[in-house]
Amino acid sequence: MTYTSFLKSELLVLWRRKQDVVNAVLFFILVVALFPIGVNSSPEFLSPASGGIIWCAAVLAILMAIEGAFKEDYLDGSLEQLVVSGLSLPLLMLLKVAALWASVVIPLLLVMPLLSEMLSLPSGAFWVLIMTLLVGTPCLFFIGIIGSALTASLKQSAMLVMLLILPFYFPIIIFATSAVQAAQVGLPYSGLLAMLLAMSLLSLVVSPFMTAIAIKASVN
Amino acid sequence: MCWVWFHKLGSPKYFYFWSKPLALPLFCLGCFCLAVGLVWGLAFAPADYQQGNSFRIIYIHVPVAMLAQSCYFALGVAGFVYLVWQMKIAPIFIQSMAPIGAVMALIALVSGAIWGKPTWGTWWIWDARLTSVLVLFLLYMGIIALQNALDDVVLANKATAVVSVVGLINLPIIKYSVVWWNTLHQGATFTLMEKPAMPAAMWIPLLICVVGLYCFVASLVLWRMQSEIMQREHRSSWVKQEVMYNNGF
Repeated sequence: MTYTSFLKSELLVLWRRKQDVVNAVLFFILVVALFPIGVNSSPEFLSPASGGIIWCAAVLAILMAIEGAFKEDYLDGSLEQLVVSGLSLPLLMLLKVAALWASVVIPLLLVMPLLSEMLSLPSGAFWVLIMTLLVGTPCLFFIGIIGSALTASLKQSAMLVMLLILPFYFPIIIFATSAVQAAQVGLPYSGLLAMLLAMSLLSLVVSPFMTAIAIKASVN
Repeated sequence: MCWVWFHKLGSPKYFYFWSKPLALPLFCLGCFCLAVGLVWGLAFAPADYQQGNSFRIIYIHVPVAMLAQSCYFALGVAGFVYLVWQMKIAPIFIQSMAPIGAVMALIALVSGAIWGKPTWGTWWIWDARLTSVLVLFLLYMGIIALQNALDDVVLANKATAVVSVVGLINLPIIKYSVVWWNTLHQGATFTLMEKPAMPAAMWIPLLICVVGLYCFVASLVLWRMQSEIMQREHRSSWVKQEVMYNNGF
């Protein structure tokens, strides 16, 4: 096994389970739809809240998508093969997160124009929202994958991962929605994007190693 | 610099016998300080000129809030120690400390809400400090939930250590993001720090309460760790001997 063959097989598995990705996107759309139905459907409410609604829905959809990332690998033994393969486990985890990120976030970005119209997001803030998703979601994946790796050996873990990981998402949601709101009222937002990027880079440094520790502990 | 004592503390047996005589004196000292500080603060300290007597809840609220943060810091350090040096005592410490920290955060939230009602006119506002203590409480509960969900001891040790370390890195980020978020949205809010400096008759009992609660919590943690050590090492001969001795054989 090499790094490229690992990445290829990960992408192939994700491609063959297209239904999972479709489910994540549908879940995302459903959570977004809860807000106009449950709170208020007038553009006066939706327009300022749209950034927050989209981010909250994205956080939940992403966490649901990566919660079981290691389940199958754990059950069929391929996780053990990764540990004994002689390759650097943190680097493998990095590749896995990259593959997962591409498979979940790109479809989310594709439905974003539709949803931003449905939530009457001002067109000026649309590209800022896309930017926050691009620089902020890697951090969500890096933190979430730790929870996923810690609970790989459990049968039912979705609720546990949510409970464990969601508090860590607070700062990302705060900065991302602040950036979208700042763009809506015409304030500068580049500093907020920089903060999001900084958090993603910090988690990029820490998370693969923590995930590797968690995987080794889960496998033994 | 001699580190032998530090490495010795990693052994559960050594730690058990080292900490055994410490717990009771710490507990007594803590109870004594708490009693002195609380009676002094609740009954004898002068009333605040703005808040009247309602400010007296500070003698419970502030020590508990400090403990809630200190406990989390200690968890993070213990998690780091476990991941780096694999000391057996560190996960025992995490397991013993997490529920105590959760209770401290909960008391801080409840006492803060009780204090907020007369002074701010509301039980809860999304103030930076309230929100960060709420997140702290949720982090503790996450660690406890993870601990209970994982049956395998080694995995549970590693898992709680990883979460503690990640939490320690994240806690300042959460705290500052919340402060920042709050100031962006609603400008000046009520914060504890902006009160006028207290006179000595007010802060001396507060200091005694803080010291007392630290000692109190330290003794509780030592006791919890001792019973956890006995449970984990129940097969070893020294634990059997110790139990026999305690039961008077």
